[in-house]
Amino acid sequence: MFPTPLEKRPPAARTMYQAVLPLALVVWLLPLLAVAIFSIKPGADFTNANYWGVPSSFDFVDNYGQVFFNSDMPRYLLNSFTITIPTVIGAVALSAMAGFALGIYRFKANIWIFFMFVAGNFVPFQILMVPVRDLTLDMGLYNTKTGLVLFHVAFQTGFCTLFMRNFIRALPFELIEAARVEGISEIRIFWYVVLPLMKPALAALSVLIFTFIWNDYFWAVVLTQGPESQPVTAGITAFNSEFRAMYHLMSAGSIVAALPPVAMFFLMQKHFIAGLTLGAVK
Amino acid sequence: MTSLKSKLLAAIAGSTMLAGAAFADGHAKLSGDLVIFSDMSNPAPRAVMEGMVDRFGEMHPDLNIELTIIDREAYKTQIRNFLTAEAPDVANWYAANRMRPYVDAGLFEDVSDIWEGTLSEELASTKGAMTLDGKQWGVPYTYYQWGVYYRKDIYEELGLSEPNNWEEFKANCQAILDADKKCFTLGSKFLWTAAGWFDYLNMRTNGYDFHAALTNGEVEWTDDRVKATFANWKELLDMDAFIDDHTAYSWQESLPFMTNGDAAAILKGNFAVAPLREAGLDDSKLDFHQFPAINGDVELAEDAPTDTFHIPANAQNKDNARAFLKFVTSAENQTLINAGDALGQLPVNNQSSVDDDKFLQEGFEMLSSNSPGGVAQFFDRDAPAEMAKVAMEGFQEFMVKPDELDRILSKLERARGRIYR
Repeated sequence: MFPTPLEKRPPAARTMYQAVLPLALVVWLLPLLAVAIFSIKPGADFTNANYWGVPSSFDFVDNYGQVFFNSDMPRYLLNSFTITIPTVIGAVALSAMAGFALGIYRFKANIWIFFMFVAGNFVPFQILMVPVRDLTLDMGLYNTKTGLVLFHVAFQTGFCTLFMRNFIRALPFELIEAARVEGISEIRIFWYVVLPLMKPALAALSVLIFTFIWNDYFWAVVLTQGPESQPVTAGITAFNSEFRAMYHLMSAGSIVAALPPVAMFFLMQKHFIAGLTLGAVK
Repeated sequence: MTSLKSKLLAAIAGSTMLAGAAFADGHAKLSGDLVIFSDMSNPAPRAVMEGMVDRFGEMHPDLNIELTIIDREAYKTQIRNFLTAEAPDVANWYAANRMRPYVDAGLFEDVSDIWEGTLSEELASTKGAMTLDGKQWGVPYTYYQWGVYYRKDIYEELGLSEPNNWEEFKANCQAILDADKKCFTLGSKFLWTAAGWFDYLNMRTNGYDFHAALTNGEVEWTDDRVKATFANWKELLDMDAFIDDHTAYSWQESLPFMTNGDAAAILKGNFAVAPLREAGLDDSKLDFHQFPAINGDVELAEDAPTDTFHIPANAQNKDNARAFLKFVTSAENQTLINAGDALGQLPVNNQSSVDDDKFLQEGFEMLSSNSPGGVAQFFDRDAPAEMAKVAMEGFQEFMVKPDELDRILSKLERARGRIYR
């Protein structure tokens, strides 16, 4: 069923693997490398078709200086944080409570409510574009960070609840029964018994949702406009002026915008991988 | 040099006269509110807009000016909303047919009264572009020229000079082709660049009035005069004057052919100068010439897209708005906002001085004195959006399959029948 481990393959296959892997890696990373290289090139290199060659001058300080001190990028970055962090807190808090209810209590509609959360994940979010836009407009939340946060919380809670419910189901139920025998109130059981046990799930989910929301482009464009509310993913296009696209600045901006989730990944790598597998493997 | 000096002198004279006028106006200090919506959202234009508001505010300390700057692309959809709902007192837009929907819907104020007297003379080059149904519906604040930007060093090396007519134009091109280079670089991936070629070929073959009638939907696309334009275009295509695979490039991606010397020229607006200069083509290597005459019987006319200010019909403070529009077009303000360190484009007022830049000087000269036929706005601003899209697709297709012309033109004609009703 599983492929033979590499160590047990013939030596020829192993050499082949070792030779092809770096090649595949380079091809895979080529677009990212191009962006990274472009971010330290002067704009003239684009006009001169020097796409892959050595930069004609080393403009690291210039380009990144422009991004940080002469554009709305810091504003957009701040927006991204003020959108992402409340969303993570909101979605994780709501789903921890919903997951607790669905995982611990046995009531009639339990399975149906759970299915509704799961089914929500299967709705392609693009079809919600027009109704959600109209809804936020009617509620006076169009082009506000609050609107974007509320929508993200509502939409992410579905996936998070599935995740949390399965995690809580896997906890030993005896712990909760023991607490009940002691006469502890349900809310205190949640707070003092279940929540501490959920720490790995909370961490994994937070990291996952952080990257999801930070990298969201679709809703940022649909629900917000302009530097007062747009996150950095949408703000990068501000480097397109009326006539020209400033590719070198856009590259530098993209690198800056990609740093927080990448940093998050490396710092929390363990939780990240746990998060990807936790919901599936019980 | 002398012409520059005289221009500067004229500008100084103009600005002192204007200062006098402003002083006279200053007696009637404005008060109340002035709400301005602007799409000048890129860093340099934004600074220009804010600067204008500051200076206008200093002239009228009792006036409460509220400026809202909206992203240029978002503005294009928002304008429909705010013109009908909560209208500002002043709003940015574009000249010619681009303002027709709002003029026809009665959403722009008729400002012909501002244009009476000296303003019509000072802004003569753009008056036509601001006029619909015999009235003026706003004022321009900046424009830029189109024309042929060419590699001066390649021309010199091949012993060529700027062409004065179609025969010389083609002869130059043949010489460049014989030297194993292409005459023109072009990136037609996003269609509009090919429309620049159509604009010029049609205006030079049939004249400005015919071009305006065609973009207004008054002439059939299958007309013989239109076919004559395409026949001229086909001459260039048959020579293989354009770079290969131009449909694969954006206009910026087509520039390397020029910087590395594989192509000798580009037909483009003045905004192409900045990237070409950055890429190392200084004034000894890059030069500009007007698109030469093809049909000697028609007057020369140019493409010069114009950006504008308007007063919405639902505005609350129209008197204040009128004063602001006059301030915007004044020679002094025009000199300031179109300078190289601001917008870096052409002032619309012929009393203004032009930035000391070779290309801006030549463009100003050309539009002020050598464009008797008129000033067009560029195909996608002159024609309605829907027609422009279909037509520009047709232009691109024609450049790749010139033999399919009849089919393409009948397709455009069908579109004309559907779109203009």
